[in-house]
Amino acid sequence: MRSFSDYHPIVIAVWFFSVTGVAMFCNHPPLMAIALCGGVLFFGVRNGLSHGRTHLYFGLLFTVLALANPLISHNGKTVLFVLDHNPITLEAVLYGLNSAAMIVGVLYFFRSFSQIMTSEKLLCITGALSPKLSLVLSMALRSVPMFGKQSRKIADSQKAMGLFSEDNIIDDIRGRMRIFSILITWALENGIVTADSMAARGYGTGRRTQMRRASFFAADWLFLGLTLGLVGLCSAAVGAGRLKFEFYPQLRAASPGFLGIAGIFAYAVLVMLPLINETGVKLKWKRLMSEI
Amino acid sequence: MILIRSKTMRSAIKVAVPFVILPLLTIAGAVAFDQKKHIIISMAVAFFALLLFAAGFEKRSTGTRRMVIVAVMTALCFAGRFIPFLKPIMALTIISALYLGGEAGFLVGALAAVLSNFYFGQGPWTAFQMLAWGSAGLFAGALAEPLKRSKPFLLFYGALSGMLYSFIMDIWTVLWYAEDFSWKLYQSALITAIPYTLSYMVSNVLFLLILSKPIGDKLARIKIKYGI
Repeated sequence: MRSFSDYHPIVIAVWFFSVTGVAMFCNHPPLMAIALCGGVLFFGVRNGLSHGRTHLYFGLLFTVLALANPLISHNGKTVLFVLDHNPITLEAVLYGLNSAAMIVGVLYFFRSFSQIMTSEKLLCITGALSPKLSLVLSMALRSVPMFGKQSRKIADSQKAMGLFSEDNIIDDIRGRMRIFSILITWALENGIVTADSMAARGYGTGRRTQMRRASFFAADWLFLGLTLGLVGLCSAAVGAGRLKFEFYPQLRAASPGFLGIAGIFAYAVLVMLPLINETGVKLKWKRLMSEI
Repeated sequence: MILIRSKTMRSAIKVAVPFVILPLLTIAGAVAFDQKKHIIISMAVAFFALLLFAAGFEKRSTGTRRMVIVAVMTALCFAGRFIPFLKPIMALTIISALYLGGEAGFLVGALAAVLSNFYFGQGPWTAFQMLAWGSAGLFAGALAEPLKRSKPFLLFYGALSGMLYSFIMDIWTVLWYAEDFSWKLYQSALITAIPYTLSYMVSNVLFLLILSKPIGDKLARIKIKYGI
């Protein structure tokens, strides 16, 4: 048993896209509520009480999104009140709340996704799909700090030669433009040198390997199987029309039946899966520590 | 993935998928689903288009030098996204496409989108951003000759692509929010996005005006010198 972020990148990606996919392609209010709570909880458990600005921003976004719909859309039968000759309807208010819950929930999940899915893990996935594309990506990633370093070097030597000063604005801008121009020439030439060196060392002659030896363990299969099974159950419920919910012209939910309720539960378990895993890991750690 | 040997077959597929199959998929989706799930279809289309491109790139024998130059241009775009307010990313994509061809342009735009989103936040919009910036490069590559010949046309192309980018991303915003496409929401999204649209257009024109000559000359020089 490992911590969630140590699972195979493909397993992590499948879980994220399943959770956000169901949230995005479905509009059933209980599912949206689960998505929002799960997203906030997952982000909160991972980051503790930090990231206050993120929470503030998302809270503000939620308010704006929830308010936008009733102000723009006047569909729906139940008029709550009339604002400036425009009826504000109950349906539109609830629809706005529902959409806002979905969007903010998905955004929270993607925030966590950005934290967990580092560029190295992305390269592992793209490397399986297209090694060439993965190479271009990783070289571009490496180039960015390299350019920074090189541009400082160029600036230092330009200044040492007395070619520009920073106290004169026009001189400063012209100097920076020159540095940028030199940097691009250098970057392109350096790229050619890199390419020739790669070719000389036999790039493209054999199978490519990766820095990280990612392999599937039993726990990966288990997690992947659970994810796919739960998503399958949830999609079956959606596909069978059990989780249909209409806001306009009047709120109307299809009777969920056994399958629909099972689908909602499956989604809740799916959202909680990494947290359950994390709790298990912590318990195991405590037990091992107590045995020392 | 299957390698198709016949060259005419390959080019037929290359034309058919973006111009026939993907639109058909869109229409079929609009008819099959009860006019609500545009977002599924639009994401599927974006995903397939990107996959198709990746597969095509993987099978083609691209020189190592060419690949490295594409990586360098991607890194430049990525670095350029840190400039506040002005976004040189599309202008740099267009310039790369003019001198390295449409495919390289598509790669520069699409990869710069996915890489820079590691800093600016990944989201469901990444696929659309990749597609939008990539296509700006792809079409610039197809129109390379007239664009290189006439500067006003190049600037016009830059302004147009900046505007279209904003419009396309707003369609996606509306679809995400409301599932069903509504003109009213789209209009309000467009109006709130006016400062962004203007900033895209201005930065495209500005950076194309400043950078197209110097960077273009450098790329042309590298191409001649090393025979890329």
